[in-house]
Amino acid sequence: MKVIICGAGQVGWQIARHLAGEKNEVTIVDNNPELVRQATDAMDVMGIEGFASYPSVLERAGARDADMIIAATHSDEVNMVTCQVAHSMFAVPRKIARLRAQPYLDALNSDLYRRDHMPIDVVISPEREVALAALQRIAAPATFDTEAFLGGRAQLLGLALDEECPVLNTPLRQLSELFSTLRAIVVGVRRGDRLFAPEPGDQLFTDDRIYVFSHADDMKRTLELFGKATTKQERIVIIGGGNVGLAVARQLESRTDRVRVKIIERNRVQAERAADRLERSIVLHGDGMNINLLQEADIDRADAVLSVTDDDRTNLLVSVRAKQAGAKMSIALVNDPTLVPLMGVLDIDAYINPRATTVSSILRHIRHGRVRAVYSIGDSEAEVIEAQILSTSEIAGKAIRDIGFPEGVLVGMIRKGEEILRPTGDTRIQEGDIVTLFCLAGDIPEVERLLQVSIDYF
Amino acid sequence: MLRRLADLPLPVLLPGLVALVMFVPALHANIVGDFHVSRAFLYAGLLVLLLVALVALAIQSQSSRDPARGQFRGLVLVYLLLPPIMALPFHWAVPDTRAFNAWFEMVSSFTTTGATLYDVAGRLPQSVHLWRGLVGWLGGFFTLVTAIAILAPMNLGGFEVLDPRSVGWARDTQMRLTRLSDPAERLTHHALALFPIYALVTLVLWLLLVLAGDKALVAAMHAMAVLSTSGITSQAGQVALNSGFTAEVVIASGLMLALTRRSLPGLRRLQLGLPLWRDPEVRLGVLFVAAVPLFLFARHWMGAVSSETMNDALSGLAALWGAVFTVLSFLTTTGFESQYWQTARLWSGLEAPGLLLLGLAIMGGGVATTAGGVKLLRVHALTRLALREIDRLNYPSSVAGGGRQARRLRGEGAFIAFVFFILFAITLGVCNLALAATGMAFDRALVLSVAALTNTGPLADAALGSTNGYADLGDGAKAMLALTMVLGRVEALALLAFVASVGWRR
Repeated sequence: MKVIICGAGQVGWQIARHLAGEKNEVTIVDNNPELVRQATDAMDVMGIEGFASYPSVLERAGARDADMIIAATHSDEVNMVTCQVAHSMFAVPRKIARLRAQPYLDALNSDLYRRDHMPIDVVISPEREVALAALQRIAAPATFDTEAFLGGRAQLLGLALDEECPVLNTPLRQLSELFSTLRAIVVGVRRGDRLFAPEPGDQLFTDDRIYVFSHADDMKRTLELFGKATTKQERIVIIGGGNVGLAVARQLESRTDRVRVKIIERNRVQAERAADRLERSIVLHGDGMNINLLQEADIDRADAVLSVTDDDRTNLLVSVRAKQAGAKMSIALVNDPTLVPLMGVLDIDAYINPRATTVSSILRHIRHGRVRAVYSIGDSEAEVIEAQILSTSEIAGKAIRDIGFPEGVLVGMIRKGEEILRPTGDTRIQEGDIVTLFCLAGDIPEVERLLQVSIDYF
Repeated sequence: MLRRLADLPLPVLLPGLVALVMFVPALHANIVGDFHVSRAFLYAGLLVLLLVALVALAIQSQSSRDPARGQFRGLVLVYLLLPPIMALPFHWAVPDTRAFNAWFEMVSSFTTTGATLYDVAGRLPQSVHLWRGLVGWLGGFFTLVTAIAILAPMNLGGFEVLDPRSVGWARDTQMRLTRLSDPAERLTHHALALFPIYALVTLVLWLLLVLAGDKALVAAMHAMAVLSTSGITSQAGQVALNSGFTAEVVIASGLMLALTRRSLPGLRRLQLGLPLWRDPEVRLGVLFVAAVPLFLFARHWMGAVSSETMNDALSGLAALWGAVFTVLSFLTTTGFESQYWQTARLWSGLEAPGLLLLGLAIMGGGVATTAGGVKLLRVHALTRLALREIDRLNYPSSVAGGGRQARRLRGEGAFIAFVFFILFAITLGVCNLALAATGMAFDRALVLSVAALTNTGPLADAALGSTNGYADLGDGAKAMLALTMVLGRVEALALLAFVASVGWRR
């Protein structure tokens, strides 16, 4: 597939890396020659220097026969114009744009972004994605990572196991027999630096970080099984009242259960803006690192602290400070993936990587077949893919044990009609079923092949 | 010709208009056959017209240096100049009264206070009553026009709460944006725009009151009193109304106009951009009108009232209505009492509701209406500030929302409202002291001061439960009260802003 990526910023770079790694023909366009050079040096991509919205530049980038264009420059307007030019002059079939400004996003529900108006097929908003991720983290406090699949009816939970987990040192096969009514399955285990898909005979040990697929209704039981208590999140403190913090607070306000939100924001104007948009939440003006201010926000009784300022280091430090002051849980927004190993040392419970979330949401629109969702795990070491099985697929009509999945692939929850099932070896996958798959990065091309039209179809 | 007339300064133009109005009671007296009174008004009208014409010719070539300030100076002068002129026919028509008393009566009427020295039945001829009502009605109209045309552009008279940075100063940009930048022209424009509506509403109220069963003159007096919130009535015993329930409903609906400036044309730039039901003044007003009667109503069961006679549902409803009407009437500083007010007092067991009425009168009606008092918008700003400060006790660093307008209202707006409140309280205190110095009892001095300062004349008797009125006051006390009425009407803050910017800058 031929893809043009406009903007070699963080998001553009990540997507290019993903796509280039999957043998796609990727062209990066950026007006900074230095960035373009770095990109072409580091990855197997082509680079064009120039303004992404100029028709001549797009033509040089090969827009005439491109299958997709991803506009992820820093300017919303440039992204919009780029998509328009790509559509009107070069008839690029798929156009994805990143838009950040809230007024543009508010227009999503109107038909502004239609083919004959502003031809953008998919609008990606980093702030919104991050806010959603933050909400999911808050909803599952005992997890270090979580994502909803199958329309919210199945949940992927990342759990760090400790001594309190009652099912340590037990083969997974035995677990499924013991808890046969529990609709949950372990799909991935990270032990030390190694991430792998467990075999039925594998056991879990202390300090393993596991990924579990659970039916949404069985989440509580699943968490209990792995020694995680579920508490209701009632008091939440958000550090940083920018777009992300505000979006999270608004979502929390709109819930039916009364969540008490306090936002700390350093910039007075920003704080006032947040206060104007919120009704019940309390907005505090000041430095989130100030312990007096944190105490004013009742940090010692907070169920969760969410640090979403635009500075990684502030987020980390505030999270540590909040934890020390007595907050039950802290979540930090971290842009730099190399800081992730610090989380364990600093006792920060979870992190959100805006790049990863944005990249995930862009990737889900790129995949072949009927891929409905893609979630990137760790530093792109693995992916969880949600896909609909086509009749032409090689695996349609086969029992799971008969499908030649690679070693790094495990089937998670399956949706058959209205039912969400836990797979067993005998489960037969039919056309129209929606499956979730955990695949290590190296096995993704093979999975894609399996999901696509099979050879013997022709 | 009209143009030249409109260019005349207020203190010259208005006596002319007043002289024209004098012909109305002259005509009325002529029709009812009271020729002495008719002559008094006719001659006074002609005399004043002649004088005005002479003065107008004399000053024709002069022009004011600072038109906006000139208009404001005129506004203050009007309150000093007009009452003596108005007192002229009054004095002539009522021979057995002193000129000083006639002047007090006219100050009280023109400031829409409605404090009267002549509340004994049959003391005054009907036409003179009509004249009192007309003066009050003109006073109300004058208040409205000056609020829109002079005070609003200068950010005074309650508007300072919305735009606290330029109290007493017209913003150049705003002035240029409005087409009518010349104050005299603006005054004429607004007066002409407002008069038909003002007159029409009065007429409609009059007709409705007549339909409700009032006599024509009483109905006219009440219609004018309601619209100007003066509370001037021709009935004996100045407070209690002797009209039916229907008439009270009509009057109450008329009083609603004094709760918000929204009923005024020409105030477009002062809208908060909120729908009517979210307008802070309307909300606050409705809150008072609903909460206070409900409290009185519920007090029947709360208090240790053992009035066995007052237990049927009908008297309960009557009490409720009586309370609603009276609260609304005193909140708008009109001062009518419902005929069911007595029932309401008995029902609630609150025998001396004076303090309640004093409080309501001090709250006052809406900004840029004919009501006096502190005014609802200022009360609203102060309430917001108070609530905000309570929040701040919990969270000292918190930031409150509501948008820029609300933030300004809570901050600088509340500050300027507080300044106004302090000035109001000082005026009240000084008046109170001065009255007490004349040998008056403290509680009466307090009630009279509030009545004068909030322009709610009938408050004096209603709050004290007496029928003394103002008739037995000494001259010193009357003069002090008259001064306080003018201060209450012009507002001490506006006066101070004017004096400060003109005098102290030099």
